[in-house]
Amino acid sequence: MTEVDHRKILAERLAAKLGRRTVLKGMAASAGMAAAGGLLMPKGARAQQSGHLRVAALNHIDTLDPHFTGFLSAIQVINNIHNGLLKITYDGEAVRFEPDLAETWDLIDDKTHVFKLREGVMFHDGTPCDAEAVKASLLRVKEGEPTSPHAWKLELLDTIEILDPLTVRLTFSTPYAFFPVAMTGSTGRAGTIVSPAAVEKYGTDYGRNPVGTGPFKFVSWRENDRIELEANPDYFEEGLPKLERVTFVIMNEPSSAVAAMFAGQIDAMTDCPYQLVPQITANPRTELYGDVEGNYTYVAMNTRRAPFDDINLRRAVAAAIDRETLLKQAYFGNAIQAYSPISPPMTDFYDPEIAASGRGQHFDLTKAKEWRAKAANQGEITVNYMMSETSGPTGTRIAQGVAPMLAQIGIKANLELIEAANWVKRRNSGDFDMFDFLWSADLDPDETLYPEFKTGGAWNFPGWESAKFDDLCKQAQVILDVEERRKLYYEAEDILMDEAPIAIVAHIKVYKVLAANVEGFQYVPADLLNLHTVSLA
Amino acid sequence: MFRFIAGKVFQTLFVLFLVSVASFTLLKLAPGDPIEIALGNEYSEEAHQDMLAELGLDRPVVEQYVTWLADFVRGDWGTSYTARADIFTYAFVEALPVTLTLAVFALGLAILIGVPLGVLSAVKKDTLWDAGSAAFALTGTAFPSFFLGIVLIWVFGVKFAMFPVMGFVAPWEDFWGGLYHMVLPAFTLSTYFMAMIVRLTRANLVEALESPYIAAARARGEPGWRVVWVHGVRNILMPLVTIIGLQLGVLLQGAVLTETVFSLPGAGQMITNAVLNREYGIVQAGIMMTATLFVLVNLAVDLAYPILDPRLRPSR
Repeated sequence: MTEVDHRKILAERLAAKLGRRTVLKGMAASAGMAAAGGLLMPKGARAQQSGHLRVAALNHIDTLDPHFTGFLSAIQVINNIHNGLLKITYDGEAVRFEPDLAETWDLIDDKTHVFKLREGVMFHDGTPCDAEAVKASLLRVKEGEPTSPHAWKLELLDTIEILDPLTVRLTFSTPYAFFPVAMTGSTGRAGTIVSPAAVEKYGTDYGRNPVGTGPFKFVSWRENDRIELEANPDYFEEGLPKLERVTFVIMNEPSSAVAAMFAGQIDAMTDCPYQLVPQITANPRTELYGDVEGNYTYVAMNTRRAPFDDINLRRAVAAAIDRETLLKQAYFGNAIQAYSPISPPMTDFYDPEIAASGRGQHFDLTKAKEWRAKAANQGEITVNYMMSETSGPTGTRIAQGVAPMLAQIGIKANLELIEAANWVKRRNSGDFDMFDFLWSADLDPDETLYPEFKTGGAWNFPGWESAKFDDLCKQAQVILDVEERRKLYYEAEDILMDEAPIAIVAHIKVYKVLAANVEGFQYVPADLLNLHTVSLA
Repeated sequence: MFRFIAGKVFQTLFVLFLVSVASFTLLKLAPGDPIEIALGNEYSEEAHQDMLAELGLDRPVVEQYVTWLADFVRGDWGTSYTARADIFTYAFVEALPVTLTLAVFALGLAILIGVPLGVLSAVKKDTLWDAGSAAFALTGTAFPSFFLGIVLIWVFGVKFAMFPVMGFVAPWEDFWGGLYHMVLPAFTLSTYFMAMIVRLTRANLVEALESPYIAAARARGEPGWRVVWVHGVRNILMPLVTIIGLQLGVLLQGAVLTETVFSLPGAGQMITNAVLNREYGIVQAGIMMTATLFVLVNLAVDLAYPILDPRLRPSR
């Protein structure tokens, strides 16, 4: 294991972040100003909250319990009620992790993190957010009953020690490069701190009665109708929040939400299907926020059974898919071509040269035909391609685009439209030849590669196996040096792309829509809708 | 009379029992697994087994049914898998009143507009009025409510900004606000029904107006409006009431789409989402509620016959 000075790395990271704050650009600049305005307020001054923001929540929200949700749509609400030890920030250039409830975050050695908490932070129920609460929250994720689906993220966490009422020391069994993301990222929030008193009081119903430290307090949730939040006047960030009330209106039909936005009955949308983008951008009342986020879409091939147990056939498919055409026909231009899974927001790891360097998968019909000629089955091959209306922002358009491309290399894809529940079941049990899918809101190469493709992993739907790949990912997990991690991940990616259990397609843009009079929104490319700094003009 | 009512109630309960068995079985037979959906991307075999046991889904179907039925009749409708919401509150207290409001307003609108138009058609038979109302009725039947709803939203909600395009206000809390919010959804849902009432009223009234008692009334010198509305319409109430009872199912079906387009948190949306997520408890509750409603309305229609038609009253 290499010797790395983590404190130095951390110090540099924080310094870089502070240095760059003065040269913020565009939308992030106004957001930064808003935050700075907040900081300039005299200590102890109460923020004056006003305005009622109505947000159309377009995707399913399962629970408001950060330790149990499996949906980003739920995180969008949860993040406004709770805080974590760390938070994700974005300055228009790079995604970073900064202390949130913690005042300082120190790396003592490569396995030990010390968090000094802010003083005087209270949960919405009036109980203090101290080291005890942090420990209780982390233990709830790691070994609570019932088991949190995010428990694996804290598997390497050995001990949680309370040094004083506001200081906790976390010791891991190995260096854990994935730590900031494990605490803050992905579809759950392992490092989000919940009120232990509320957990005690509500038990499994905590998800309907969340109590955090965030800028907004939970008021009510009417199933299938609306979630109401109100400002937390005692919020620890001075001058925030600016809104008095927030309502997440649950809407199933995006075109109705757009109409409601144009009619002024809704101020924001948590998502925007691609077919509605032109309408939103053309209307002066609405503004579209969004960019390419940490995600990738792919066409999966079932490596466990014929015909795609044949590596040459999979390589042929990977080379036969014309991504340019799909970008136009399936994504209406709201995506960029992907050559490998690691996506642009993972700034330290994304390969900017990948389009030209020859790494990853590329469309090349001649090569596709060469691979096809090497395949064991030289006859006409018929495969099943299952589609679901609700699988991502493109619906069935990718499948429809891919089928004729496969026909060019003698593969006949039978498109089968099935309903979501059945689609999930068949995907999980390996009862398919092909399907397309989206992995989203990833911030680190570890979560974008390893859980999805490790041998025998629950998310490894193509059933691909590579000991070398597993080994490289495991090594990269415990190395903190960026340069070296990057090398390992590139090697792992190269194996994955060459053996082609998937044909990678695109990195997509993820949108939010806000009315023109909504100000101060800080966009974070992790599908978040943080309303801390938002106000209504 | 007691025997008549007791018989009807027994019939009703038997029908509801059959409905519950059928829906329970069909749901279990449908492919897909609620737990895989609830767990989403966090799926693991271990979490799956834990949740199966926790929800009792690992027990035999018959046992699951009996447990469910026993709890259901006692008002314990369970909690939903993903949201952990109390199903009774969600389905009966929150969602059902929304759908009932929508249905009542839509039905009211259909009758208020449909009957007069039908009468007009019948009285002015074979004139431009008649043709006009026929065209209106045909359009109403042919226009899918989903599409009509979106057109109404864009024209009256966005372009002219006359009516709200979404949301529900309880009329028992704020009557005019509730009415205002219901205008577009109720109209969208009512068109199909309205068209049917127009055609039915016309057809029956044309026939009725040729009856001897109409001629007799006219001969007595009664005013025209009285002849049509009292002697004519009164006599076509039977087929109208029958059809309203039978078509209630269609109305509830239409409510699903209308609720989706206008973002109304009603039972239609509830059932659709629950089916997609395999929320057995909610689907079951939704089916039982709508089936009960359907059966009760038809029971009411049966009981109304003797009131509408003296000839059907039990002779003493």
